[in-house]
Amino acid sequence: MDQVALTALLQTLAQGLLTGGLYALIGTGLSLIFGVMQVINFAHGDFLAIGMFITLALFRTFHLDPYFSLLVAAPFGFALGFVIQRLVLARLGDRLREGSMLATLGLGLIISNTLLLTFGAQPQSINVPYATSTFQLGGVQISIPLLIAGLGTAVAIGGLNLLLYRTELGRAIRATAQNPLGAELQGVKTGSIQAIVFGLGVAFAAIAGVLLMPLLYAFPTVGENYTTKAFIVTVLGGLGNLPGAIVGGLVLGMIESLGAFYISNNYRDAYGLIAFLLVLLLRPEGLFGRTVKRV
Amino acid sequence: MTTAAPLPGTRPRALTFGNVWLSLALLAALLLYPFVFGKALNFGVATLIFAGFAMSWNVLGGWAGQLSLGHAAFVGVGAYTLTLLAMPERVPAFLGGPVAPWWGALIGMGLAALLAAVWGGLTFRLRGSYFVLSTIAVALVLRLVAINSTWTGGAEGLFMPELPTLFGLDLFDRRVEYGLAFGFVTLTLLVTHLLRRSRLGYALQAVREDEDGARALGIDPAQMKVIAFMLSAALTALGGSLYAIYLQAFEPHTLLELPLSVQIALMAIIGGRASIQGPVVGAVLLSVFGEVFRTLFASANLLIYGVLILVITLFAPDGIMGLFRRRGRKLGTAR
Repeated sequence: MDQVALTALLQTLAQGLLTGGLYALIGTGLSLIFGVMQVINFAHGDFLAIGMFITLALFRTFHLDPYFSLLVAAPFGFALGFVIQRLVLARLGDRLREGSMLATLGLGLIISNTLLLTFGAQPQSINVPYATSTFQLGGVQISIPLLIAGLGTAVAIGGLNLLLYRTELGRAIRATAQNPLGAELQGVKTGSIQAIVFGLGVAFAAIAGVLLMPLLYAFPTVGENYTTKAFIVTVLGGLGNLPGAIVGGLVLGMIESLGAFYISNNYRDAYGLIAFLLVLLLRPEGLFGRTVKRV
Repeated sequence: MTTAAPLPGTRPRALTFGNVWLSLALLAALLLYPFVFGKALNFGVATLIFAGFAMSWNVLGGWAGQLSLGHAAFVGVGAYTLTLLAMPERVPAFLGGPVAPWWGALIGMGLAALLAAVWGGLTFRLRGSYFVLSTIAVALVLRLVAINSTWTGGAEGLFMPELPTLFGLDLFDRRVEYGLAFGFVTLTLLVTHLLRRSRLGYALQAVREDEDGARALGIDPAQMKVIAFMLSAALTALGGSLYAIYLQAFEPHTLLELPLSVQIALMAIIGGRASIQGPVVGAVLLSVFGEVFRTLFASANLLIYGVLILVITLFAPDGIMGLFRRRGRKLGTAR
């Protein structure tokens, strides 16, 4: 392989890895929610869109640097998720599994259409001086906002890991995921835990939205695409499997990046979908999971 | 992931609202529509086609209890098959010339059933939520193919300038289209009524309510779901063919998008999966709402879907028709 081709490959891989980091962040939120509550969140991408539009609105109104919006978007996402779990999901009772899909689908439609009524349909972006600046590393160019997004993802996922494995709350969350009834008997308030988990999942989606804003255009239905990506990530990694979601995200980023560069950019979104269908077909437990019950 | 048998009440209750007279009354009302609202035939045709889509969706979504958010794929298969075969410059050479739309519609139904057989065969082996996740993916893959291929007309889509006449009737005449769409709804209602008293219908309900119990009775759940899926897909593709004639020109963005799939599913669920006529009621109601709010909300017309599905999920899981049935049951027990 000559030097130019090698640089192109490294460039593609770096791009894929950093984009994949963002997918991992989105997928982790979805997988966390599924792992603890058995809820598939169809509004996940729309929560991401909320993060994007919060950033946009703060930038337009106060000229706030997009990354400072994290201080608003993350707590807002958490509060929104907490309230939604309390007001909607907690009321579904034994209809939770299917009811939650329909309820989150409805919430997603409400969010995207409200954004449409508020901000209009046209794609909007923010203009920051560093939006197109890059960073050189041995001939490979890395976009600064993408690098920041990758770092932000690492911090968020590292933080989640600390929370889950180093705190009493994390222990309660893991207990609720493993056996809700057993956790309840040990004095864990599983209702509150579920609300916190849904809040965390939504906050992760909103954080991803903020990190994406300097890179992408925001439009009200931008979330649809990311809901699908989040599904792909979680299925690649195994439903409810957090380390799996991280690897799944990185793998999806790589597949898209390599496919777009070496095959055709037109089908960028298809490579992930095809990988997703192949995993469903061959290894439904995900790339690293244990076995799935077959009919 | 492993999922235990569903808890009681996680699926829609048994289909009991099977009144044939109600279906006939509904059809009579739909038959009167063109005479009363002759000026709003466009709206009438679109509403009927969506009512048929929702009825077709319900064969899988209601009877087999499998949530699909990918039925736009079958609408697309039906629409593209009819149109590609009917256009002289697009039809494959070995067919020796354009294919009449009625044959095109039949071929589309066959292709849709085939797609459903393969897709269902792969996903219904797995328990849990894999099917619903896959439905989104399949429709999206088809959309990407339609957008990026030249033989499908790419992102610009297709335009059908002319079609042969059917018994001397112009297929692009809205009155003829209304008649065809009415026939489509009638067919889906008929299929559902037949399903209600057939072995397949009972088997599907058994699988939906308790998969392990059904298996103990010798029913193969995966096979039953695949059959329901194929039936649902073929009917949806038939509607898709009609939709193509109604639109005359269409692009991948109108036919193969997630919002279309969501719209079809939500019409059926909001109307009531557990009743035979529920999907038609849901389709009519949501179409009217959509028309009323079109001026108010412009392109945000799916907002009403979101609000309604949230309300229905929380307070009336059996849909609008379920509300009437519940009242009826209460009266019955009060006796």
